[in-house]
Amino acid sequence: MSGTLLLGLGNDVAGDDAIGPLVARALLVELEDVAEVVESSASGLALLEVLAGHDRAVVVDAVVTGRVPPGTITEMGLDEVGEVVAPSVHQAGLPELAAVAERLGLTFPSRTRVLAVEVVDPWTLGAGLSEPVARALDEVVARVRTLIRSWEEEAACTTTTLSRPSSPG
Amino acid sequence: MTEILIDPITRLEGHGKIHIFVGDGGAVDHAYLQIPELRGFEKFAQGRRAEDMPQITSRICGVCPMAHHMAGTKTLDDLFHVDPPPAAKKVREMVYDAFMIEDHALHFFFLGGPDFVVGPTAPKAERNILGVIGKVGLEIGKEVIGVRKELRDLMVEAGGKAAHPVFGLPGGVSKPISPELRDRFVAAAAHAVEFGKFSLQVFRDVVLANQEYVDLVTSDAYTHRTYYMGLVDEANKVNYYDGRLRVVDPDGKEYLAFEARDYLDHVAEHVEPWSYIKFCYLKDVGWNGFTDGPDSGVFAVAPLARLNAADGMSTPLAQEAYEEFFSTLGGRPVHFTLATHWARLIELLNAAERMGELAADPEIVSPDVRTIPTETPTVGIGVVEAPRGTLFHHYETDERGLITMANLIVATQNNAARIALSVDKAAKALVHGPEVDEGLLNEVEMAFRAYDPCFGCATHSLPGQMPLIVEIRRLDGELLRTIRRD
Repeated sequence: MSGTLLLGLGNDVAGDDAIGPLVARALLVELEDVAEVVESSASGLALLEVLAGHDRAVVVDAVVTGRVPPGTITEMGLDEVGEVVAPSVHQAGLPELAAVAERLGLTFPSRTRVLAVEVVDPWTLGAGLSEPVARALDEVVARVRTLIRSWEEEAACTTTTLSRPSSPG
Repeated sequence: MTEILIDPITRLEGHGKIHIFVGDGGAVDHAYLQIPELRGFEKFAQGRRAEDMPQITSRICGVCPMAHHMAGTKTLDDLFHVDPPPAAKKVREMVYDAFMIEDHALHFFFLGGPDFVVGPTAPKAERNILGVIGKVGLEIGKEVIGVRKELRDLMVEAGGKAAHPVFGLPGGVSKPISPELRDRFVAAAAHAVEFGKFSLQVFRDVVLANQEYVDLVTSDAYTHRTYYMGLVDEANKVNYYDGRLRVVDPDGKEYLAFEARDYLDHVAEHVEPWSYIKFCYLKDVGWNGFTDGPDSGVFAVAPLARLNAADGMSTPLAQEAYEEFFSTLGGRPVHFTLATHWARLIELLNAAERMGELAADPEIVSPDVRTIPTETPTVGIGVVEAPRGTLFHHYETDERGLITMANLIVATQNNAARIALSVDKAAKALVHGPEVDEGLLNEVEMAFRAYDPCFGCATHSLPGQMPLIVEIRRLDGELLRTIRRD
């Protein structure tokens, strides 16, 4: 199982809710060597089953807060998620899942970044992405790519450092 | 980094919303629940190939993909006038039972369970999945996750990814069950039976042994004398995959029995300006407002309704549990909404036993799992019992098999009128004036949580929590208080 998970949350046929799955799809081939890429419209405990077993995770999800313009990308760590995930249509409840995983002794990503994209309409089937969310798609993809690549570089550096004592000379 | 502050007023859409109206004296005049809904299904479906419907409909709901997939598959059988071979029907039912077990396990322990296992008036911080684990023990938490994982893996093996199954086809299933996979179903069924027995024992120990809970379950605030509907087999036993629809009246007598194809003759929809959801009622009785009793066409579906509508369970251990259920609660039918949680566990055990019977059937590994359709498609209507209740799919196509009309009647719609009754009655009984404490509010929510209603795409709720807004207003509409519940 891969150390890094890219999880695109959302319903790919329900308007702007597709943003998470579309980001996952855009990076599926490119990142296949460095991350497990999953799209899912599951929630709650089912997500625990997706997240468990990974060391690091990037989660992309749609949110409706009405407080920022549609298309705005908000990046958060797990400790910042609590209040912000609540308006998501997925109610991922990541902090709760992390707590459950800890109680049950399951491996849970110790590093998690959530990219929440403010959307207009995640409820209309077949509507496709709204214009502001469609415009944001490339940027979300780029940010996820940068994030996961930087983790890989970090991991590579750590490996080098650790291997140094045993190297000759 | 942008900080996002959550203003309850701006995030109403996408969430359940309870409106409570109080009169001058502080008594509740009426209360109702609004549920958001995914929009645009009919337009979305038009022009698509009928064969794609089991996949498309399974994608519209992240909670019940297998129920939509199976209802869609059965609708295609009807649409293409094709009868699957016996082995295909058995394979479908066995896989569907696996889904019923894992979904019921999730609901009891992690969504509805906290109300009972931890307690209805326990502090909010404890009334969640962690509270349940704290009460029943770590091993049980692991067991719930383990059983679910085992069953979900089997569903994937039998028919592709659980979220997007490629399992059912018109006239059968996509591939036969190998002897190796059969053996795993046999083992998983034995495991699930033990889990079901254990879960029922938890219910006895935690709920039935506590007089306070029993009083709550049987209290008038959570009681409605309505009609009940559910699928039954030839012996009038509960079945989730197939059968006739049977309706019993508020005295438990058979009122109607019909085939899915005739549902339009018996089920109609009532529209209210304040709700996105249409309220189903029995056409033969008629719409008589949000009331219960024999003159009101309001009916219920889901576990309690299925047990009420049947003469028993198809398997021995579940039958014993069924008898205990009705003898404890005063005979059939049981009108206590909160008893739905108990009924759900009896169904879990039944689905586990039934899965084991089917897995042990020699025919389950037969390679003959498909009848190829040859006739021109016209109209198809199919039904299954989703965990949350009766689910109808109805498609019409042109001669090329492209969808011209598609309609779904989901469990929450079938239950909507009774859910409305439940919210209204619980609010009237429990709320007095705008100052409502947390525990009481939770008891109002318990009135609909028992149904495990589907909140459109907002069903993606935190374990043990329900995103919800409660608004308390005066009769003239003035807002007295808004309470955010998440």
